[in-house]
Amino acid sequence: MPEFDGHIPATGGTGGGGVRLRILHVIFRKELVESLRDRRTLFMMVGLPILLYPLLIFGMSRLQESQQEAQQQRESVVAVWGGAPDSLSGRLGGAPRLKVEAWAGAPANVRRSFEAGSVEAPVFEAPRREADDKNPKPKPLPGAAWAKAAQQLILDRKVDAVLILWPDFAGEVAGGGVGRATILYDSVRPDSTTARGRVSDELRLWRIELTEERARERGLPAGFQQGVEYATQNVAPEKRQSGMFLGMMLPYMVILLSVLSGFYASIDLTAGEKERGTMQTLLCAPVEALEIVGGKFLAVWAITLLGTTVNLVSLSLVFSRVKLIPGMEMQMSVTTILLAFLLLLPISMMVTALFLAVGAFARDFKDGQNYLTPIMMGLVFPLVATMQPGIELNAHLAFVPVVNIALLIKSVFLGEWAADMVFLVMTSSLCYAAMALVFAAQVFERNNVLLGGKETLGGVLDFSRTPGARPTPGVSLLLFSVVLVIAFYGSLSLSKMSLPAMLLIVQYGFFLAPALALVYAKGYDWRETLALRRLPWRGLLGAVLIGLSAWAVASGILIRLLPPPESLVKALEKILMLDDRTVPIWQVWLLMAVTPALCEETLFRGLIMSGLRRLGMWPALLISGLLFGLAHASIYRLLPTFFLGVVLGYAVWKTGSLWAGVIGHALNNGLMALLSRSRETVEQLGLSGQKYLPWEYVAIAAVVLAAGLWLVRSPANQRSSTTAEIVPGA
Amino acid sequence: MTDNSATLRAEGLTKRFGAVLAVDQATIHVNPGEVVGLLGPNGAGKTTMLRMIAGILTPDSGRVTITGLDMAERPLEAKRAIGFHSGDTQLYRRLNAREALIYFGRLYGMTEERLRARVDELVEMLEMGAFCDRPCDTYSAGQKQRANIARAFLHDPDLLILDEPTTALDVISGQFIVEAIRAEKAAGRAVLFSTHIMGEAEYLCDRIALLHQGRIVDQGRLDELLERSGCRNLTDTFLQLAGRGVAA
Repeated sequence: MPEFDGHIPATGGTGGGGVRLRILHVIFRKELVESLRDRRTLFMMVGLPILLYPLLIFGMSRLQESQQEAQQQRESVVAVWGGAPDSLSGRLGGAPRLKVEAWAGAPANVRRSFEAGSVEAPVFEAPRREADDKNPKPKPLPGAAWAKAAQQLILDRKVDAVLILWPDFAGEVAGGGVGRATILYDSVRPDSTTARGRVSDELRLWRIELTEERARERGLPAGFQQGVEYATQNVAPEKRQSGMFLGMMLPYMVILLSVLSGFYASIDLTAGEKERGTMQTLLCAPVEALEIVGGKFLAVWAITLLGTTVNLVSLSLVFSRVKLIPGMEMQMSVTTILLAFLLLLPISMMVTALFLAVGAFARDFKDGQNYLTPIMMGLVFPLVATMQPGIELNAHLAFVPVVNIALLIKSVFLGEWAADMVFLVMTSSLCYAAMALVFAAQVFERNNVLLGGKETLGGVLDFSRTPGARPTPGVSLLLFSVVLVIAFYGSLSLSKMSLPAMLLIVQYGFFLAPALALVYAKGYDWRETLALRRLPWRGLLGAVLIGLSAWAVASGILIRLLPPPESLVKALEKILMLDDRTVPIWQVWLLMAVTPALCEETLFRGLIMSGLRRLGMWPALLISGLLFGLAHASIYRLLPTFFLGVVLGYAVWKTGSLWAGVIGHALNNGLMALLSRSRETVEQLGLSGQKYLPWEYVAIAAVVLAAGLWLVRSPANQRSSTTAEIVPGA
Repeated sequence: MTDNSATLRAEGLTKRFGAVLAVDQATIHVNPGEVVGLLGPNGAGKTTMLRMIAGILTPDSGRVTITGLDMAERPLEAKRAIGFHSGDTQLYRRLNAREALIYFGRLYGMTEERLRARVDELVEMLEMGAFCDRPCDTYSAGQKQRANIARAFLHDPDLLILDEPTTALDVISGQFIVEAIRAEKAAGRAVLFSTHIMGEAEYLCDRIALLHQGRIVDQGRLDELLERSGCRNLTDTFLQLAGRGVAA
């Protein structure tokens, strides 16, 4: 669990803010047991999903069905104003569930003007497009007496629709012309739209009969008037059709109901404990604040995940028994459910942490409900947006919290997910979850908040400057998350710039500047935090060997494990060549090798690794390496960049000098740029046409790498007392 | 008055909440087998002071050591030597007293064997057998208080800190707590407790510290306080020191 530095922990701190797993487990178990004995939590976690899905799905479809049935059964009453030819009167009169009443409700003056032929038909525009026919654009109702009378008749529900046959309708039809008619209806009243449909269908059929008869009379071939016949065929596979339906409503419901499982538990374990005074009892026990928040977080998260599981299981059971689209069974495969569960992990993590952090500010249980409700509302709005059919996951939305997960779940149900998109969404969601966790940890470090005292948000986040302080794991995690989000959106907004300009801004503006600004703002010791020490000659030599060989080991072994798609390789080569072969190689090196080496090393092996130091060497190397890998924003690049991050981290840790990382990184990138650019070099090495680096090269590189690692770990490198201090057991 | 073997040494404690100075340069020592009372009206700063001593709140300045352990430097070890109880504290509603005691015993690092034995011992000693396996939210006020006292005594702490332990209790339950404090004193434990009930303080305390508006205005044995103030009883002494002097 991370700790945010910058103040003396209110519990006094153990100097390390460490977490004892045994205590974490004791707190977790107690909180879980107590929460599971709470009926409200049980209901939210198990009862609601079990009850709600069947009720919602069956209930809604039943309701819809019965309403439709009732509508279909009910007879439509239609007033016909105007003279109809016999054939039309006969057809309308004989149509099922259609009751035609001639001149019903027509005021005497209106009827007279129709019969006298003095009514003027409005400008007539027959619907030309299907959409216009189904959903006609609203046209203003004419101010004439007939229009007002018909409107009132329909609104008073005396009839469902009024069919107006304009003057000389019968004459036009009989003479081979076009008879004009208008159906007046109320789009808001289902009975009225049904009536419109029924009348419209009868008119359509009557028109076909009429045109066929006219053709026959004139000896024209069948279809002369129709001219063309066409049909439509839906090609969407059944899975996709059900996915569309599931994808639209499922992310919304599952996300909401899952996080709701932890709602009461969060309040009970924070505001509830405050209200009962047990929080104070816990705070005076010999436990760290991080152990308390960690145990509580894990308990609520476990409850949320149990709720998530119940939700997914209940949902899939209900869907397997219901036909939402006629003729189609809904199916949710195990893979789909597992993937949905996986995607719900970071979002539930984030919301749980937020619930706990915000709940801790509340004075009592009721207050807690008031505090947490806005968070729930904050979830509902983006989720409702994702229910719109047109919205799909794209690069811009991949970093928008909540929305990204909901849209990805949607594409999972459509069977359209891509590994790289899952990776990007998971990375960004984990970043947000990390931010929420650090915030929660920070709140729980403030005993004053936990005891019911007042504290401002600024006070909790504590941006104060403490000269000589050192960064903590929480700072590292927070910095990484913020930098990644800024860099992601930053590069998207810079996408119209030239590649070199974009690279420079991302590296110096989004990586280096935030790191340096944070060191300055928090008053960290520059030399200690960024490992700014002279690199001894053995370390230098080791870094050079690592820089020359790491890429070959990584690409020789790791790329074979997860080969990147051709498009990614091409895109990377394009970047390495700066989009242009004519740029001199020294410029490429400056941009592609030296710049990332300086900026990324300062951020990852400097500040981030420095914050992770107190966790010990291997956790620090692995976590900083993982963050370095995640920052490369592609699942295919994760393994090689993670490997490079760990190796460079090792060099910096052992030599105590950031320069070991800078030199290794610069050589690594420089070599790759050279190989991408220079065909001759590739050919000289006998690598042209090879998909992977041949094993003999990998073996040589591995030996060189081992030699480099041996050189950097040499005790001669560990010169300063500080270095010895940061190398446990060295 | 004090020596280096004091169980509690709190020196120059100061705490400010925004513009409010809650505790100002308060110093207090408690020796083994000694009961020290912290007396003051509501809002005097008693709870804040006890919370700082218990390591729940960090003082803005000043230092707390428990059995020689510095609270700022070794908080976990120092806290292990303290049993803290506040009169308004409740219990985990959906756990029973036995489960709650086991939970805290584990947090205090007690071995399972010792913990079980100690819980049985406390259940018998505090006559909790009839209710200790029922959920805590079914307890009467007196039963809750017993369970809370059991939790504070559970790990055999060197120092007991009791914040208005008899608040909201009837006479019998209050008397039970008072007797428990006497028993702990007899067992050689140091006890620091706050109260605004003067009679309790007179009956129990070896020494008394009078807290007013965050400052300790006087402290000493009861007879010393009475002599210095010239008053007949503690209530008058307190009122006089608090600046609302009454005729002696």
